[in-house]
Parts: sequence; C-alpha cells; structure tokens
Amino acid sequence: MSHHRPQALPLGDSAVTIAFGAERSPELLQRIHSVARSLAAAHIPNVEDIVPAYLALTVFYDPLRASYQEMAAQLVSFCEQSGRLAESAIEPREHVIPVRYDGIDLESVASATGLSTEEVIRRHSGRTYTVDLLGFVPGYGYMSELDPALRIPRRPEPRPRVAAGSVAIAGAQTGVYPLDTPGGWHILGRTTTVMFDSSREPAALLAAGDTVRFERA
Amino acid sequence: MITITKAPPYLTVQDTGRKRSRAEGVPPGGAMDLFALSAGNALVGNATDLAGLEWALGGGSVRFGRDCAFALTGAVSEATLAGTAVAPCTATYARTGQVLSVERITSGRFLYLSFSGGIDVPLVLGSRSTYLPGKFGGAGGRSLRTGDSLALGGDSAVLPPHGFHCAADLMPHYEAGVVHVIPGTHRSIFDESAWGILTESSYRISPASDRTGYKLEGPAIVNSLGAIPSEAGCPGTIQVPADGAPICLMADAPTVGGYPKIAVVSEADLPILAQRRPGDSIRFESTTVEQSQRALKRRASDLNAIVQRATRAVRA
Repeated sequence: MSHHRPQALPLGDSAVTIAFGAERSPELLQRIHSVARSLAAAHIPNVEDIVPAYLALTVFYDPLRASYQEMAAQLVSFCEQSGRLAESAIEPREHVIPVRYDGIDLESVASATGLSTEEVIRRHSGRTYTVDLLGFVPGYGYMSELDPALRIPRRPEPRPRVAAGSVAIAGAQTGVYPLDTPGGWHILGRTTTVMFDSSREPAALLAAGDTVRFERA
Repeated sequence: MITITKAPPYLTVQDTGRKRSRAEGVPPGGAMDLFALSAGNALVGNATDLAGLEWALGGGSVRFGRDCAFALTGAVSEATLAGTAVAPCTATYARTGQVLSVERITSGRFLYLSFSGGIDVPLVLGSRSTYLPGKFGGAGGRSLRTGDSLALGGDSAVLPPHGFHCAADLMPHYEAGVVHVIPGTHRSIFDESAWGILTESSYRISPASDRTGYKLEGPAIVNSLGAIPSEAGCPGTIQVPADGAPICLMADAPTVGGYPKIAVVSEADLPILAQRRPGDSIRFESTTVEQSQRALKRRASDLNAIVQRATRAVRA
C-alpha cells in the first residue's frame, strides 16, 4: 500500500500538525489512529498530548525544552517508520452501549428517511461504528459510518440544551452527548452509559479508533 | 480560608490548566492570562502553577479567614484592604478578618488574585482550573458566588516581605495591543490577499467573546473552502468560518474544529490578547515559529527573574 509522506507544519509554537493526506477515507483515518497509538506508546520526551483527526494528527510539546525543528524532524521520522509497523502497542477497545430508542427526533428521522421508526432503530443498532475522533466537548466521539439510508443533515437550528446520554445522528455519523450541551444532531434515544466522568481514569469512555455497537435496551 | 463576601459577575478558580487530556476532548483551560497568574504566585512565594482567582466584569470583595499574603496581577483595578489602597503587582499582607475590596477594574479584562499557599480545591484531571462548560474543576465546576469559602494551601517557606513588587519591564506590554502571529496550518489554502488583510488591518474584539474564543470584527478574510475535515486547534488559533469573520480560540475552546486555521497567536503574546475587552482594537504582526519560541523563552526568563527577586527579597 502506498502512503503519502507525512508532512509537518507548526500549529503555533507548542504543537506540530502532521498531515498524512488530503482526502478523507476510512483507511487514512485508520493509519492515523495506528500512528497515534504507536506515538503514545513510545513516550517521546517533551511530548504532552497527541490528538488524531481525519487528515492529520497533532502533537503538543513543551516549547521551552524542544524546538519546532527538532520535534518536527523526530515526529516525521517516527511516523514514516510506524507506517510500516503492523501492530501498535495499545489495542483499540470494543464498547457495547445500551440505548432506549425513545428520542425526541425518532419520528422526524423516520419521516425524513421514509423508514418506519422500527427500521430506523434496526439500522442504527445493526452495525459496528468506529470512533473517528474526540472533540466538541470532553468525551464526545464522532463515530462512523451510519447506514446510508439514515443520513440526513444536522438540524437547521441547534437546540440550546441536549441532555447528557442522548444518542444522536447527523450526516454519516452518530454520537452520544457526554454532557448537557447545545446540539444540532437528531436524537434517536438515550443511554445510561456514562461517556465522560472527570473523576474517572481515563475520564472519557471512548478513544479514537475504538469500536462501538449500540444495543436496544 | 477565604470567603467571597461579594462576588463579581465572573469569578472562577484557575491554575495553569490541563495539558494532557486533549485526546479525550478536554481543552487545556487554565488562566486566560497565564503570565499574570504565574507572576502573582511568584509575588507571594508560591510555585508559579498554583491556583488563584480569575476575576472579571465588576467589583466585589473577599474576607481573609487567616493571615496571608496576596497579590493582584493582570487587569488593573482600584482595590482596598481594610480601607487602604492596594498597589498592583505587590505582595500585600492581610490579617485574619480583613476585607479586600475590588471597587472596579480600570483597564484590562481578567484580574488575578493570588494567595500565599494557593487555593486548595481538588485536582480534576491534573488541574484545579474551573471548566464551566463541563461543570468540573475549581469549586464544583461553577462560577463562585457570594458566601462561598475556599481553603488555602500551606504557606511556602519563602514568603517575600510586605510591599515586594515586580518591575513593570518584566510584565507583557498589555497597552500596545499588538500580538504576533505564526502562519496557521491552512495558511496556504487561503487567497494570496488573506495574510496581508490579517496582518495589515486593525480588528476589534467583538462582544461575542469569552473564555472559549474571541470573535474579531474587521475586514473579512475570504474563505472559499467553508468547512474542512476537523483537526486539532489550540488557544491562539485564528480560524475563519465561511462568513469571513475570524475567531481566535481561547483557553476553553474545543480541542478540534472544522474551520480553516489561518494563523496562531504566539503563546508569549496570548496574555495581551486575553486582556483586550470587547470594543478594544488588536493588531496582528507576522512572525515565525522560531522567533515565537524565542519570545516564549524570554517570557519564561522574565517570570524566573520575578521568582529570583522574590527569593532574594526573603533572604534580605
């Protein structure tokens, strides 16, 4: 398999973003997750945080102890090598999240997709999703890929408050709101699984690259 | 212990933030003006990363439940201790029962109150900082209210004398209103004109600005791409939504975002931007990552100079 050569760019004076490609694909994302896990396991000095995303991963470092040039060279070299590694040190985890499918948008999703509510539930719970990345709020995992028949754009106006535990969809993705926040996704149901607990270690249930199945409760 | 006898409209516990939880979607948070918080700690003999109070939007008062030293840094305020004026950036000794009253903030946005021993609230994900959107950290994850009491940690062995202050030349040039910017990760996908517009125009801080981000009012920057696949940002990242109005991410900004990033403010200059109020102007000057890292080292050595002077003042 051929790879783009990873390319480093500074994100300010305390981080390096390493781009792996220009087009989003499940394969590229998987490669980035795998490199991110290898990097985390390598415990490179002065590295503080690693944030994988769709086309790139970003490494935060201590700029008082390492220069951008040093860090960028070291990381690019690591990424090129780990592209050839078959296995990473940390394995992604598999989660099963029980859902009560009684969400406020279940009916409207059914009518927008032309499916019955029963069919919406069957298709949402009928597959395994990958956590693309975490963000938006602590513990929020963007998961792919939703059944093509369920794909609808996010709501035109976000709701000012979506309750923690709400299971929602938008576009080709699904997610679970970890906190009460504003939100524009369509809510299919809710779970009692705690997605984020600041007193827990790790606080977030999900990590990028993990897989998730939703089970009808 | 200290008690908030009259809470200002905004008051939270902040330290230097969370640097190792971004992969979980947790923003770094911490003091908006990290230099002011750190300098305040140094003035009262604390380790520079202890927690203090971040205060904004109006006056209020605090009563001391024990003898301790405190310092006011960051925004400039009119303040009194038991009726006597308190100088900024100065170690001031308070006695049990005395009340520190901040009448008003006269310039700048965030005032920091540092106390000898630091504010002792539980560590959450390695920090005492309040993260309001997540309702964690600080005092129960919320803004402080009148009547709240907070424990202080034990005094350090090196308490500088009453009246110890730091020279103005060691503080950031807040008044200048100029910050340096490094080209962002998406600089090359903007029009040729975009960098010139950003660095040759004057912008104003919009009223729509808070710990999450500062919206900037001024010449629009054409973003013909709209949204892009999300990737990590950081405090100081200037991103441009489709409407062309730039937004600078601040301490509590989400860890990832899908708007193109045209520039990132030098970390050494973030305190200057953080202290601008809605309506204030700001200018962006082009720099490189190498120059920016040198500036950050100078800032660190300025802080260290305050720590050294404080230590010498104790021995004198």
